[in-house]
Amino acid sequence: MNKRIYILFMVSMLTSSMFGQFIGKDDLSVSLFYLQQSELDSAKKYIDLAVLDEELASEAKTWYYRGYIYKDLYKEKERQNSLSPLRLISVAAFEKMFTLNGRDAFLVNASKTLMYEASTLYNDAVGMLDPEKYKLAESNFELYKKVMVLADTTAELGLADVKFKLALASMLNGAGEDDVQLDSLQIVQIKGLYLAVLEVDSNNASANYNLAILYYNQGADIINEMDYDLDLIEFSRIQDLCIDLFLDGLPYMKKSYDLLYKRKETLVGLSNIYYGLNDMEKSELYKNELLSLESED
Amino acid sequence: MKKLAFILISLLILNSGFKVGVDTNSKMKAIFIMNFTRYIEWPESYREGNFVVGVVGNSPLYTELIKMAKTKKVASQTLEIRKFDEIGDIAKCHILYVSENKSQDILSVVSQVKQNSTLIITAKEGLVDRGSGINFVVKNNRQKFELNKKNVEKKQLKVSANLEVLAVSVK
Repeated sequence: MNKRIYILFMVSMLTSSMFGQFIGKDDLSVSLFYLQQSELDSAKKYIDLAVLDEELASEAKTWYYRGYIYKDLYKEKERQNSLSPLRLISVAAFEKMFTLNGRDAFLVNASKTLMYEASTLYNDAVGMLDPEKYKLAESNFELYKKVMVLADTTAELGLADVKFKLALASMLNGAGEDDVQLDSLQIVQIKGLYLAVLEVDSNNASANYNLAILYYNQGADIINEMDYDLDLIEFSRIQDLCIDLFLDGLPYMKKSYDLLYKRKETLVGLSNIYYGLNDMEKSELYKNELLSLESED
Repeated sequence: MKKLAFILISLLILNSGFKVGVDTNSKMKAIFIMNFTRYIEWPESYREGNFVVGVVGNSPLYTELIKMAKTKKVASQTLEIRKFDEIGDIAKCHILYVSENKSQDILSVVSQVKQNSTLIITAKEGLVDRGSGINFVVKNNRQKFELNKKNVEKKQLKVSANLEVLAVSVK
C-alpha cells in the first residue's frame, strides 16, 4: 500500500514539475524549450500557436524561430521532397521576420538559414530538369532566386540565371538529338530562354549558337514538310517565312563565329544558313573554310 | 551534389544539331518543277507513258527529284527521273534540268533536244536568253524563275497565263 502511495506521489511530482515549468510561459517559450530538447513536433505545435497570438506575432523573434523550426523539420522529414511544404513555410516565416521591428538581432542567422534553403531549392531545381518535371524546376528556381535576394539583397544571380536557362533550353531542345521535332510552343519557349540569356550576356556563345540552330531548324523543318504539290502562291508565302527564319538565325551564328565558338560546327552552321538563303557563294566560302580547317587536323 | 553538378554541366555542354538530310534549295526547285507540270501543257503524244524528268550533269536536285517521284505522279503518268552524265546521252524527256556544271554547254543541250517537246530548265543568269525555257534565279534570297515563253512555245508546249503571272520576268 505504501509502495502504491509512493508511486502515485512520484508520478504526481514529475507531472507537475514538467508542466509546472510552463506555467506563466508563453507559447514561444514553450516552443523554444522543445526546440532545445530537439523535440521538433512539439516545438512546431507551440510555434504555430505563438504566431496566432497577436502580441507574439508582432515580434521578429517568433517568426525567426518559426522559420528555424520549420527548416529543421524540413531537414528531418522532407529533405527528399523537392516541393517540400515545410521549407516553404520556413521561407515565408523568415520573409515575415524581415518586415518586423527587432529583426536586427536575427538577421545574420536568418540569412544563413535562408542561404542553406536557397541551395536546396537550387539543387532540387537542377534535379528536376527533365521533360516531365521542368515546370516544377522552373518554379523552384524562381523561388531560389527570391530566397537568395531575401538572404542577401546584393546577391548576384545573373550567372546562375544564365546557367539554369541554358540548361533548361538544352534539355527542352532535345539536347543534340537530330530527330527531335519541337512544336511551335516549345520553340517559342526555348527561343525565349536563349534570348533571356543573351539579354544578360550578349556574348554567351552557347546561346548564340543554339539560337541560330533553332531558327535554322525551324525553317528547314517547314521546307522539309512542304508537299511537292504545293501551289506556287502558298509556296511563295512559306518561302518568305523560311527565309525570314534563316535571316533571324544568321546574326547569332555570325556572333558564334566571332566568338570562335565550336569552330567547325559554326562553320557548318554558316554554310547551311547561307545555303538556305540561296547564297551559294557565301555557303561555299564557309564550307571551304571548314575543309581547310579539317585538313589542318 | 556531384550528381546535380553533373546534370547541369551535361546540359550546358550539349548543343543541338542541324537538321540533316534537308536540302532546302533542291526541295524548293522540286516544288517549282512539280508546279510547272501543271501550268504547262505537253502535246498529246507526250501524255502517255512515263513523265520523264532528266537531269544533265551533277546536281543535288537529282536526289530530291528521285524522292519526289516516289510519291507523286503527273496526272496519270508515272514520274521517271533520269540522269545524263553527258550531253550526248540525253534522251527524250518532258523536262530537262541543266545542272550548273553543264550550263556552259547550254547551246549543245538545246541542239540535242531540238526535235523534242522538252522544257529546258536552267539555274544560271542569262541562260533564259540562250535557249532555256525557264531559268531559276535568286531575288532577295528567294528562289524565283524567269520564263522565256517563246523558247517554251517553240517546243509545242502551251504555257498557262497563270505561270506568266508568277514569273519574275517573261520574254
